[in-house]
Parts: sequence; C-alpha cells; structure tokens
Amino acid sequence: MEAEVMEAELVLPTHFSFKMAQSYEKYPKGQSSARRFKHLKQIIQAEDFNRYLPDEPNYVNIESPPPLHPCKRICDITGYEAPYVDPRTKLRYANTEVFKIIRSLPNDHVHRYLSLRNAAVILK
Amino acid sequence: MPFTSQIQRQADYHLFSPDTPIVIDNGASYFRIGWAGENDPRVIFRNIVQRPRHKATGETVTVVGDHDPTLLKYFDCTRSGPRSAFDSNVVYQFEIMEYILDFGFDRMGANGSQQINHPVLITECVCNPVHSRSKMAELLFETYGVPSVAFGVDAAFSYKYNQQLGVCARDGLAICPGFTTTHVIPFVDGEPIYKGSCRTNIGGFHITDQLKQLLSLKYPHHANNFTWEKVEDLKMEHCYIAPDYSAEARLFQTGAKEAEDKTRTWQLPWVPPVVEEGPSEEELARKAAIRERQGQRLREMAEAKRSSKINELENELQGLEFLMRQLEEVEEEDIPSFLEETGYLSKQEVEAAHVKAAQALRKAKGEPKGEQIGIEEKTDVSTDEKFPLINVPDELLTPEQLREKRRQVFLKSTNEGRQRAKQRRIEEELERERKIQEDEERRLENPQLYLDQLNGKYRELSEKVEQRKRLKLNGNQTNGGVGRGERLNAAQKERMRLLTTAAFDRGKGEDTFGSRDEDWQLYKMMSKDNDDDDDGVDPDEAELMQVTSRLQEIDPTFVPRVDVGGPSQPAFEVPKFRPLTKEDFQIVLGVERFRCPEILFHPNLVGVDQIGLDEMAGASIRRLSCGSQDLEDRLTKSILVTGGSAFLPGIIQRLEAGIQMIRPCGTPISVFRASDPILDAWRGASYHASSYQFAGQAFTRMDYYEKGEDWLRGYQLRYTI
Repeated sequence: MEAEVMEAELVLPTHFSFKMAQSYEKYPKGQSSARRFKHLKQIIQAEDFNRYLPDEPNYVNIESPPPLHPCKRICDITGYEAPYVDPRTKLRYANTEVFKIIRSLPNDHVHRYLSLRNAAVILK
Repeated sequence: MPFTSQIQRQADYHLFSPDTPIVIDNGASYFRIGWAGENDPRVIFRNIVQRPRHKATGETVTVVGDHDPTLLKYFDCTRSGPRSAFDSNVVYQFEIMEYILDFGFDRMGANGSQQINHPVLITECVCNPVHSRSKMAELLFETYGVPSVAFGVDAAFSYKYNQQLGVCARDGLAICPGFTTTHVIPFVDGEPIYKGSCRTNIGGFHITDQLKQLLSLKYPHHANNFTWEKVEDLKMEHCYIAPDYSAEARLFQTGAKEAEDKTRTWQLPWVPPVVEEGPSEEELARKAAIRERQGQRLREMAEAKRSSKINELENELQGLEFLMRQLEEVEEEDIPSFLEETGYLSKQEVEAAHVKAAQALRKAKGEPKGEQIGIEEKTDVSTDEKFPLINVPDELLTPEQLREKRRQVFLKSTNEGRQRAKQRRIEEELERERKIQEDEERRLENPQLYLDQLNGKYRELSEKVEQRKRLKLNGNQTNGGVGRGERLNAAQKERMRLLTTAAFDRGKGEDTFGSRDEDWQLYKMMSKDNDDDDDGVDPDEAELMQVTSRLQEIDPTFVPRVDVGGPSQPAFEVPKFRPLTKEDFQIVLGVERFRCPEILFHPNLVGVDQIGLDEMAGASIRRLSCGSQDLEDRLTKSILVTGGSAFLPGIIQRLEAGIQMIRPCGTPISVFRASDPILDAWRGASYHASSYQFAGQAFTRMDYYEKGEDWLRGYQLRYTI
C-alpha cells in the first residue's frame, strides 16, 4: 500500500477485535454477494402481507395511493407547460422552437428524455 | 449547505460504562453514530461502500464512505461503483451493512475491546419488514456481541425532539422527505400512529438524479462534469420550490426580467486560447529589412549567373562563327578532316549549333517570345533536312538505308504530331483571350445587366449542385435503419434489388453464376463504395466555381452561399467553425432550479404514480379516520417538516398552500421546519436512549431467540418517556 493511502486510513482493516466472527470468514471469496441477499421485492413477496390483518400497518399498507388530480403536463425539454405531444417520439413540447429541437434530437437523447418520465419503451 | 462527514477516530471509547447505549441513525444517505445523551453524533459518513481492486497488489479492498477522489487513483474502480446497503429505504444487503458497522464502530474507538458491550439503538424505516429487522438484529447479536438492541423510526425521534423544544405539539403531523422516500406520520398523544402513515417513493435521490439527467441532456459536451456529488451540491445551493409551478414556468417562458434574475449560471473552468499578439511595428520593420536584404542577395546572384552564362554563349557563338567562316574558305573534301578537331561532323551540324547558340543567347538576354516562335519555325524547317532519306523512293535504297528511312519517317510523324498539338494549344489560348475580351466589353457597356445575368446563373447552378448533393446525402445518411421508403437514391435502389435477388435461393435449374467473367461485376455494383465514387468534378460544379470567382471579383456585395450541411443543426450543438468562447462553458440553471424539486409534489412527473407531499397530508388524516374535527385541527396546527430535503427554500409556503386546498376552509394550518432537519433524528434518539426507561425497551439476545419472529414483528418502541 502506498504511504498516503495508509495515512489516510482509506482502507477498511480486515480484522477487528470487537467482532466475534470476521468478515472474511463469513463471506468467503467467490460467492457473489448479490445473489446471497434478497432484494426488497423478494422480501415483500416472501413475507406475504395478505396473511396479516388489513388494519395493521405494514410495509405495503402504508404506500400512498395514486393521485386524484390529472397529472401535470410539462414540456420534456424546457419544463414549460406543454399542451402538445409529438406523435413520432411521444415527447411533450411547448411550442414550435422546441418541436424543431425535438425533431433533430438523436435517438439516444429521445430515449433518455422519455425514461426521465418513465415512459420509454424498452425493447428486449 | 453541503453535508460534511466527520470520521475522526474517537479515543474515549473505554471511558464509557457498559450501560451507555450507542445510538445509530442508519439513514439511506448518511450514517450517524454516537453516544446516548450527547448532543451531536461522533462519527458521520456517507452510507456507501466501494470495493475496488488495488492496482499494484491486486487485492480487493473495502472503502467505506466518500473519500478524497485523488487517493482513489491507486485503485482500479472500474468494476466497483459505490454500493449502498439499502433498497429504497429498507436494508437488504447485510454484507455491506457489516462493512459500514465495522467502520462506524472502528471510528468510535472500539477496536481493542472484546465486543461491543453497549446497548444499541438503531433507526429503521416505518414498518420495516420483519425479514430485514431480524437480519439486522442477528447481525448485531451474533457478530458484534451487543447485549441489547432497540429499533426506532427516525422521523418519530425527530418529532419528539422538536416537541421537547416546543416547536410542535403533542398532536401533530410529521412530514419527512428523506433520501429515497417521503413519509407522513400523524402523532396523537405523542405516539406515532402508523395506521395513518403514508409513504411515497420519491426523495432527494430522485431530485438529484433528475437534475443530473436534465443537465447531461442539455449540455452533452460537458456531461463529464456532472458527477453525482457535484449535482448534489448544485441542488443544495440553487434549487428551490416555486410557490406556483405554472406561474413560475410562464415567467421563464415569456423571458421576463424576474426570470433573468432567477437564472443562475455556472462557469466551468475554461482557459481562453492564447491569442498571439501581432508582431509589433519594430518586429515587422526588422523582418522586412531582412527579407529585403535576402532578396537583394538572391537577385545579385542571379544577375551574376546570367551575365556569366551570356558571356559563355557569346564566346561560343563567336567561336562557331569563326569556324563557319573558316569552313567557307576550305574545300568540300577537306571538311571532314578539318572538322575532326572541333568535334562536329558536317557543315549542317555546325550551322545548327550556331543557330541554337544564338537562340539561347537571345533567351538569356530576355527577348520577347514572338521572335522565338519565328526562330522555332525556322528550326523546324531545318529539321526537314535531318530526314534526307524520306523523300528518296524505296527502290533506290539498300536494306540498311531502308531501316534508316523507316526510323526517320517515324521520327518525322511524331514531330509533326507535336507541332499540331502546339498549334491547337495556341489556338485555344487565343480563343479564351477573345472570350474574356468580349466579356469585358459586355460588362463595360452594361454593368448592371451583366451582373444580374451572372447572379441568375449563379443561383441556378448552386441550386442544381445542392440538390444533387442533398440527394446523395439523403440517400447515404438515413437516421438509424434504412427502411423501404427511404431509399431515394436510384443507385441505392439498384443495390438493394441486387442484394435481394442474389440472396434469393435459386431452387430449380442450375446455378450458372460465375461461369462468365462479367458476373463478378455484380459485386462491384453491390458494394457501397460505388455510390460514393464520383466521376471527378461535375461540369456543373466547375462552372459554378468559375461564376463564383468572377462574381467575387467584380461585385463587392456578393457573398457566396455557404452550403448548409444536412438538416437544421440542433440548438445546443457547439458549431465547429467558430472559436469556443466563454459562453460555451457556462451551464445555465433556469427552469431546472424549480422543476426538479417539483417532483416531491408531483411524482407523476417522473412516472411514479403516487400523490405528492401536500396530498399525502390529506391522505394521512383520512387514513387515521379519527372522526373528530377537533383532532384533525390539532393535527394540522402542528406540522413539522424534517429530513434532508426539508432544506429546500419555499417548501413551507408551498405546503401551507397545498394543505389549505385540501382541508375544509378555515382550518388552522401552521407548518414548521425542524430546528435541524438532518441531525434532529439522531438527537431525538440520543435523548430517548439516555432515559432510564430505555433499558426496558431494548430486547436482548435471549428475547430474540425465545420469542421468535412474530414477536419481533409486533415490537414497537414507545416514544413517550
């Protein structure tokens, strides 16, 4: 290790006296940690919240409902109010200048603007 | 203001008795750890872990928290991005959690003792799934040997702390926009009622992400400058919540002066290119003088050479003249022997040499070409004599002489060919001169008409050339895949036809492709390069160039039309044909300043189909279904905003306005910001842990194993002390 790295104590030491089981024992190299632990979706599935009473609050219960008001339509590029939608790219735009810009955007940018709004169509 | 981490190793770990609880605020953004009863946490750091490989040794190391990026250059960070233990607001990655706890305890000074011999109070999210909770408890008990553990909700601690400070009342609402989620929790009698709580999956992380994406799309050339940390700084410094989004957007759209004031610009570091100062007067004069002198010297040398050459030639000429005179005196038969000494074989040779020398002399002296042509013609005539055998009929010659004659015939014909070519060239030149002369005359007699005609012709030609170019370009550069309707170019159509027919499987009959040589020409036609080949410059283009140059000469107001390459360029592309200025390196934050935090109130702007902050308050009160108007009034009278995103300016007014819209008219509404939205959660927890009732609230390892998972699920901390 380089001197300045040691000095800054950047790296986590591998052995701690206050631990009863050290990390390298618990997590042997080779097995990827990503597969070892369940993601939130899997945790929720596993817990099966339908078993519990609907009155009691649990993780799934307390989620917010969808809004009653119609959603605000703002231009994807500029942020102004956008009453129009481009039929080819499905981007929202506010006026003709923005429309010109939309039509000259590369495909990649169009996709990114749409995914900002979670409206991109992902082809697999 | 940007958050800073403090990771100084504490030295007083052993000074604390085993009764003193350790308080941990385990947030998705920052990890805060400290002793109960104190006002501030001891150690604060960003809740992320990186596992890069050391470049030299190759081992994988763990780096916790955010660190000086310059130190990370020793590590290969390509395969290891910063990873968090959280998925939304729930801990799921316990390996990473372990590294973080290791680091936290280590910096508290625990390294050296046997186990962590203190009770631990750790925060979690609202209604944490029991799987996460149990794994966390397991980690603390098994690996660290903690005697007892308690879980609490950070927003609740924050509310209790502020209640003590008197900011809010016993009954109230806590609105907590956090890093990954936003919660609204009603408090009745000082206890949180989770039944009425509400969670939306939008937080500070999404705001920063939105800002980062928008800026990267708007300034694609500077995309490298928009790192996550930098954008977070920008957000904290410049973002605000507009009291009314539409009005604010209209302000910017119309370009009013207030909009100008609200726009912030960020100047990226940019060094203007060094402009070379024009050489000063003296420099110029000095250089000119040097050049003059050099020119002078060269001229002198040329002069000297020429004069010496002239002298030589004159000498030679004189010698030859002398020789010729001598020849005239000598008899015919004696000529060969006489000439032996001089090296010439016959009288004609001498004469020819003489003529040549005279010519060269005249050229050296620099006389006009007109005379030269005459002399050339004379020399041509004299060459006739060189081929004496041509005119002699075949029968009179010996075989050798015949061969000689054939050679001479060949030479003569080539000579004549050359002369004819020369003649043609001369004629063309004369013709061109004549045309130019005519043109000039026409221009002089009627300049305006001439100019108009020329302009008209220019326009026509440029149109034609452009159209051809456009066709070619459009045919070759179609955006993305080439579809059936976009093959405008005839050559492309042909190519496609060939490709499809060639690929078509000829079922019946013998395939005779290749038996003839011409078949392979098919591949040449198919190849794309063929389209690009142009047979040199079109005649149209050549004419266009001519006309342009002519116009440029005579018309001072003429400006050649720059060829517009392709469709209109996008507004934010940096044009390459002018030098980059300071403005190109400025990032303008106008609408983005209030557009990004707007997603807290309208999550459907980013595609999350849930209600925003103001409506959440209404939903929460509805869910509580307490029925009494009185309680609801009490709730809205004390609304506390806490959590990292509470720092956004304008959030209080916006919340007030929003809640007023959804509550019945006339209800008292007051919204407060917590005294310190970030640290209040930890402070509340610390205060709670230092109370003597805490010991009864925490559960031990025995409890955990005996009572099982169901009990753990029902475990709730009591917040009122």
